[in-house]
Amino acid sequence: MTEILNVRTRRISGVISTDDIIPGRYKHMHTDTSKLAQHVFENRFPGLAATFHASDLIVADDTFGIGSSREQAVSSLLAAGVTVIVAPRFGRIFFRNCWNLGMFAIEADALRFAEGENIVVNIGDGNLIGADTVVNFTPPPKRMLDMVAAGGLIPSVLRRINKQLLQRKGSTNHV
Amino acid sequence: MALVNDIITAHSGGEPVTAGQLVTVNVDKVYVQDGNSPTIAKIFGDNGCESVFDKDAVGIFFDHSVITPNIAIANRLKEAHAFAERLGVQVYPQGAGISHVVAMENGWFSPGRIVMGSDSHTCTGGAVQSLALGMGASDIAAAMITGEAWLKVPETVWLNIKGKPLPITKAKDVVLYVLATLGQEKFLYRSVEWMGPWVSELSLDSAATVASLGVELGAKCVFLPDGPGRPHGMRPISPDANGTVLEVDITDLPPMVAKPHSPSNVVPIDEMNHAKIDYVFVGSCTNSRLEDIADVAHQLAGKKVSDRVHCLITPGSKDVYLKAIEKGYISTLTEAGAVVTPPGCGSCLGTQGSIPADGDRILSTMNRNFLGRMGNPEAEIYLASPLVAAHTAVHGRIPSVEDLL
Repeated sequence: MTEILNVRTRRISGVISTDDIIPGRYKHMHTDTSKLAQHVFENRFPGLAATFHASDLIVADDTFGIGSSREQAVSSLLAAGVTVIVAPRFGRIFFRNCWNLGMFAIEADALRFAEGENIVVNIGDGNLIGADTVVNFTPPPKRMLDMVAAGGLIPSVLRRINKQLLQRKGSTNHV
Repeated sequence: MALVNDIITAHSGGEPVTAGQLVTVNVDKVYVQDGNSPTIAKIFGDNGCESVFDKDAVGIFFDHSVITPNIAIANRLKEAHAFAERLGVQVYPQGAGISHVVAMENGWFSPGRIVMGSDSHTCTGGAVQSLALGMGASDIAAAMITGEAWLKVPETVWLNIKGKPLPITKAKDVVLYVLATLGQEKFLYRSVEWMGPWVSELSLDSAATVASLGVELGAKCVFLPDGPGRPHGMRPISPDANGTVLEVDITDLPPMVAKPHSPSNVVPIDEMNHAKIDYVFVGSCTNSRLEDIADVAHQLAGKKVSDRVHCLITPGSKDVYLKAIEKGYISTLTEAGAVVTPPGCGSCLGTQGSIPADGDRILSTMNRNFLGRMGNPEAEIYLASPLVAAHTAVHGRIPSVEDLL
């Protein structure tokens, strides 16, 4: 799979918890992620939510997404327009949630990119290409790329179950 | 062999696994908390799913919003209840307690099981050597439907705790000290096996405190050694021949406090210089068990909560609450002027009262003090043990080591 994305970089500094991304009180109020998107980073970086637009890439300089398991930390960022997050390290659950929902979470040091730079992300080849900088990363395993290509964890699981059901039906017919 | 490898091997077809490998495992138990079940219900609804792999192996716990604070959350809870009823799974309604505390009491966690929970503090199950994994809504929904999950086999680190702390220093203090000394990076994505004489002598309540904080270390999962009151089937902890062993010496360690806005921002208690506190909260999946309530009751017996302090105590489960009533702790706490709430997550994350006021300084026994955690970003949260919390409630200031001895 050669996923290529044109994105705008957004720099975020410091260790970021999932509480920082979306405060607990909102995630218990809404399942509509567009409502959650208005509140991303509200406590930590007031006003930042309104500045995201479609095809943004977050460049973090420290551990990103530590703490709570809330998948809304990913779904609210996706709803805000973020499609890729590049960080030196991720919180474990947040990292899984990213891939499960089709957000590309990439472990790399991308601090050479400035805020608001337009860059190209080549997921399958493992590089980020700016005007005068290239950052390489280890491409994700095929299994994870396949999951994203299927639309995320749930669609890929359902596809597998339906296939098994069809196969089972098929073999019963033969009998 | 590392415990995590052993458990994953036993749940993925029996071929020995190695760190870094991506595998599909069978899951023994899956549980959901009320804050995430509306999202999970939505995933089921959007995808036309109507059933789970095993009704007895799936539970929904109502713990984050026990006393519903607003219309939006009330409506989400209603959806969650309807969802639980449709699926016919195990339900632990408001008042039953915190999922992780109840899961331990009711045997959801047992040695060698794989248990998934939709809350990051599911790692608590490591106290009895379950591979207990906190995960997001999609992972949980997928496991509820299929009884399976994808996992990356983590590397294991062994954490050898040497020496004994001061008697006033509790399990919470030791984990905060480990975090302060070693940081998160050494534990991130990893399985952590605790060892050494101190951890081997811990009560089950204290072991649960240690295990619950695994996610604060950044770990994928944790395992504690066998000890008093543990179920059968616990395995000895022993590092692989070429395994990474980290050592922390806790000889004469004093109590610790994590300052705003990170559990890693830890100082010895004397460095707090008797800081003034407005609000004390005792509760959460880290410190709400009978032993914790007993520590607070013994401190508050015959004393009064300071007039300047709002002191809120939330037992972790119905069982803890009833035992605390039986032992007279709830009378002691109430007499002293503390407010005892029904069991649940309490005020840990701002999804029910008490929300702090602007400028409030809170001393809490919970596990996280991220900015805005309790519902107000204008408040400061300090984390400490129940013993320290109780002393603070009486005097309105964080005690020194000398005050506590």
